[in-house]
Amino acid sequence: MKVNFLSTVLFFFISCFSTLDAACQLNNSPNGSIKISFINTLNSVPIILDAVNYTNCWNENFTISALKYYISNVQFKTSNKKSIKEKNSYHLIDEENIVSKSFLCTVLPGNYLTLSFLIGVDSIKNVSGAQTDALDPLNSMFWTWNSGYIMFKLEGNSPNSTIVNNKIEYHIGGFAGTNNVLRQVELNLENNKALININSITEIVVQADVGKLWNAVHELKISQTPVCSTPGAPAAGIADNYSKAFTVIKIIN
Amino acid sequence: MKIKIIISLVVIVMLATAFIYKAPPHKLTYLKLFIPKGWPKPATDIFVTNPLTEEGFVLGKKLFYDGRLSKDGNFPCSSCHQQFAAFSTYGHDYSHGFNNSLTKRNAPGLFNLAWQKAMHWDGGINNIEVQPLTPITAPNEMAETLFNILIKLKVDTAYVRLFKAAFKDGVINSQHMLKALAQFTGSIQSYNSKYDKVKRGEDSFTVSEKMGYKTFLDKCNSCHTEPLFTDNSFRNNGLTLNFKLPDSGRMTITGNPTDLYKFKVPSLRNCSVTLPYMHDGRMFSLGKVIDHYRKGIDTTQATLDTLLKKGLFISDQERIDLLSFLYALKDSEMLRDPRFIQANDILLPVNYDH
Repeated sequence: MKVNFLSTVLFFFISCFSTLDAACQLNNSPNGSIKISFINTLNSVPIILDAVNYTNCWNENFTISALKYYISNVQFKTSNKKSIKEKNSYHLIDEENIVSKSFLCTVLPGNYLTLSFLIGVDSIKNVSGAQTDALDPLNSMFWTWNSGYIMFKLEGNSPNSTIVNNKIEYHIGGFAGTNNVLRQVELNLENNKALININSITEIVVQADVGKLWNAVHELKISQTPVCSTPGAPAAGIADNYSKAFTVIKIIN
Repeated sequence: MKIKIIISLVVIVMLATAFIYKAPPHKLTYLKLFIPKGWPKPATDIFVTNPLTEEGFVLGKKLFYDGRLSKDGNFPCSSCHQQFAAFSTYGHDYSHGFNNSLTKRNAPGLFNLAWQKAMHWDGGINNIEVQPLTPITAPNEMAETLFNILIKLKVDTAYVRLFKAAFKDGVINSQHMLKALAQFTGSIQSYNSKYDKVKRGEDSFTVSEKMGYKTFLDKCNSCHTEPLFTDNSFRNNGLTLNFKLPDSGRMTITGNPTDLYKFKVPSLRNCSVTLPYMHDGRMFSLGKVIDHYRKGIDTTQATLDTLLKKGLFISDQERIDLLSFLYALKDSEMLRDPRFIQANDILLPVNYDH
């Protein structure tokens, strides 16, 4: 009798929850997922904060203590020329925080040709007041003296730096007019074939080569520019450089 | 057996009610920003993405007066923004901050903020919601971090209640804190000075005020434009350079050399209580300000406003009358408005009967 009674109550509970589950699944259209992972590298080797001495193309030694940047407005193009945009697409990639270096986008199944994104936070969010999550000013990526996000941040030390404690500090921001440091990156997925299946996760591994910072488009020498922390032409130049850093190195279907 | 049936029934009823019962809808008392007759549209849509509610206002007010937003507890927003001084720092060129430090610019009054396109003397802040980040984190002001403030707020049950009342998900985060602060500061409005009442036909100017108004329209209105008494522009008004505290003004933000030494044109509303004047608070009386425009302008500066190249011709009598008019811009109702006064007990409903 006792068993009977308990099992009745239990059955009641289970049936309640299982009907709920089924309802959830029915309401959703079948989706695939793309996981985008970022690996920050120097000389094709993942960087290590603080511990490793690096040398740039100008033979200047340096260490990196912090590397953070925003990836926003993630978009895919499919083989039938559809453009798929991630909703509320704002991600802060923080070298120190492993979890932050990859994120999942739910997309329709299909054959994906390109991945594009903005390095930085689009101008609208720079003027829209208090935000949360990746855009929370808690993340120390928001200027308090000149409203706007720091789109890219690299801090470290170098004997070639002329400022106090041999610091290097690149806080790249600015979203208006010629000071705009937002850079669009489009990466081809065709060679690697990103085929997204229903209920499976395809991983796109993007490499960000920090070495590009020093000479991809313009010359950046630590001895001349150890610090850049205001919007303007130097910041825009550095943005040109790091916009060349991104390549797809692997797609895992 | 009977007991078991009863228990079963109770369980079933409880489960059934759990499914039928919906949490009561989150009730917010919506408020509207008052737009006085004849005023332009607000320059910003501050309360579009941040709907103004009584609950948000009450939370914002508590935060505004709470010293815990500063590192040592001594510097709430209200320490530099005092209601009787139209929310400026009364009689201080620079305001006091953490550890006996001083600010580098004069604290402006806070009112009619929805009509301001940009905050700060250099216009560096593009949205009222993110303005508090500057004084909160500046080492010579409140010297605190958002992280620490949120820890302090989260352990206070009064705040837990107030955040729940003001925001649907009730989360205590920086976004909600900043939005609530904006609801309070954005609600501070000035439109009941004697000038406003004269304009509405409820009062009349004295002869001197009337003459002063005429001088004002002639000499001041092109920059300090009615009814806000500012055109929100940035201009170099020819102050001699302060070499001990160099300040490039607007150029700091734009990087544009043509913006060197330009500062925001402040509103003249309540100017009789927002002394001292100018971005560095160098002038302690309105008479001195008028005298600056009469004969103190440094005409050697390349970015000097074209309207000031020759100074302003204001006679001694006009100076007297202009001062009478400027005093008529004091909005005593705002300066005493109980809505803006720190609540003794924030949990009691506040009665606004005016």
